[in-house]
Amino acid sequence: MSESRAIIRLDENGRTYFPGDTLSGSYHLDGISSADVKAIEVSILWHTEGKGDEDLAVHHFQRREAGNRIRLELPPQGRFRTVLPNSPLSYDGAIVKVGWCVRVRVFQSGGKELLSQRSFRLGKVRPGRLATS
Amino acid sequence: MARSFRLFDKKRGNRRTGSKRWGSVGELVVFASFLLFGCAVGAIILDTLVVPQWRANHEFVRVFCQVLEAGVGESQDDEVTVYRPEIKIEYEVDGRTYRTRTYDVGWAYSSGRDDKQAIVDSFQEAADAGEKRSCWYDPKEPKTAVVVCGYRWWNWLLFVVPLSLIAIGGGGLIYTAVHWGKSTEHRAVMAGRSARREPFAANGRPPSPFPNVPEPAPAALGAGRTLPVRLPGDISTRWALLGWASACAAANTATIVLAVLVVGGHWAGHGSWWLTLLLIPLVALAALTISFLLRRLLTGSTTIEISAHPLHPGQTCQLFFSQSGHMRINCLEVLLVCEEEATYRQGTDTRTERNEVYGQRLLVEGPFRVRRGKPFQTTCPMTVPAGAMHSFKADHNEIGWKLVVKGDVAGWPGYRRTFPLVVRPERDKHGDENGNAARPAGSVESHGRAGQ
Repeated sequence: MSESRAIIRLDENGRTYFPGDTLSGSYHLDGISSADVKAIEVSILWHTEGKGDEDLAVHHFQRREAGNRIRLELPPQGRFRTVLPNSPLSYDGAIVKVGWCVRVRVFQSGGKELLSQRSFRLGKVRPGRLATS
Repeated sequence: MARSFRLFDKKRGNRRTGSKRWGSVGELVVFASFLLFGCAVGAIILDTLVVPQWRANHEFVRVFCQVLEAGVGESQDDEVTVYRPEIKIEYEVDGRTYRTRTYDVGWAYSSGRDDKQAIVDSFQEAADAGEKRSCWYDPKEPKTAVVVCGYRWWNWLLFVVPLSLIAIGGGGLIYTAVHWGKSTEHRAVMAGRSARREPFAANGRPPSPFPNVPEPAPAALGAGRTLPVRLPGDISTRWALLGWASACAAANTATIVLAVLVVGGHWAGHGSWWLTLLLIPLVALAALTISFLLRRLLTGSTTIEISAHPLHPGQTCQLFFSQSGHMRINCLEVLLVCEEEATYRQGTDTRTERNEVYGQRLLVEGPFRVRRGKPFQTTCPMTVPAGAMHSFKADHNEIGWKLVVKGDVAGWPGYRRTFPLVVRPERDKHGDENGNAARPAGSVESHGRAGQ
């Protein structure tokens, strides 16, 4: 049995984005029947990692829901597109890290959720390291 | 085998490993309990205090009664005696005579005998004189009557408790219902929407085009004498001075009061040696606080002005430094520092960790002497390193730039003062330095039902 997953593709695969750039891409669901999908959320967000509690803010959000009364199937694929903001830029620090990603969350029947995300870099910032002097 | 339901979950800060659905159910139960308990308490207060009072004032029928006797009733409540006026009256309703002991509709015991005795005395005088008084009887139950009507204001205060419970429970239920089944991202969008509805940020200015980059203090711009921007010192420095001044005032006041008592006692021949001994550490503490305050005052003020603010990575600007006071400085350093700050919850504690990730010495001077009216002043260039991270501020994580002044003063402990800076992201390759061309606002799309 194949593993269920959402595959995210960025149009300009792997490049570093800058503030004001347009980020676009697509996703498609693999191993999930469209009839089992209740809703799909696509978010483009930044979040922190590291020592502190997580901070998160969503820059772009789209939610698509299947019909309730007459079951309408969602197409198992979609596109997203947004203009990236001026800040915060991606950063890899000693105890604070800021990362950007495209996150696809699939709500399946039976209360199951499937989460996939694809990271990308916004801006070119040198990593922060503990100062020695 | 993985268990589908765990009683105990691992937790660090806001991160939980348990089921979100069960968490929401738990929240619902807690908030519903608050709401129900609040409603129950409110209903009891209404039923026992408010409705009877309202009925006494609006539905009871006024008649004249004969006061037969009056006295102060007593009761024991947790070994404390409490009192109430007890007035025995006789009145007639529809040709039938009723006799009852009463006062007001609540007829509760309370502490303090004197006020009740005064009430009783006034009724006893009426009884002795054979005067008739007004009373009000319940038309549904004529044997129930009162000799005093009106409202007790403190009854309304009792509603604070149920109303608080109802507000917490109801608000919590609404919050839980609104967020029910919502993903972390969806919740963040909802929080962002409410923030975007505000036309102005908390500081009263339009939202910044640089999300999560703090804004410079507006008072600093244009306030410089030598260079355009005078940097305000870290607020903690000013609070520290105020703290030392308060500690100094408190310690010295206590010392003087105790000294007067001790000396007065010895003078009168009944001095306490214990108090005299206590005076020794107090005098030492007072001297210490004076010394620290003097040091703070003698080191004078530190002024830093820069030619541009906010800055951006790779930008070079001029820095003007001025140190006033009256002291000999062995070594003075001005550093450009970038510090990461992470706040996290550990159990019930909130901890903050700071780490310096960049430090550049801009100025090293000394030894030299600073005299009153002749501050030490100098200028130097300052460059924010290219490719460095900009200032960043979120709820639990922060990256801050600042200028740090470290002074090694001869004969005194050293001092350290900080001046926060704002570094914005590097000039946008698509637009100007204010970020006008880039469109920072995010977008939210909801496609509703597919196929519709």
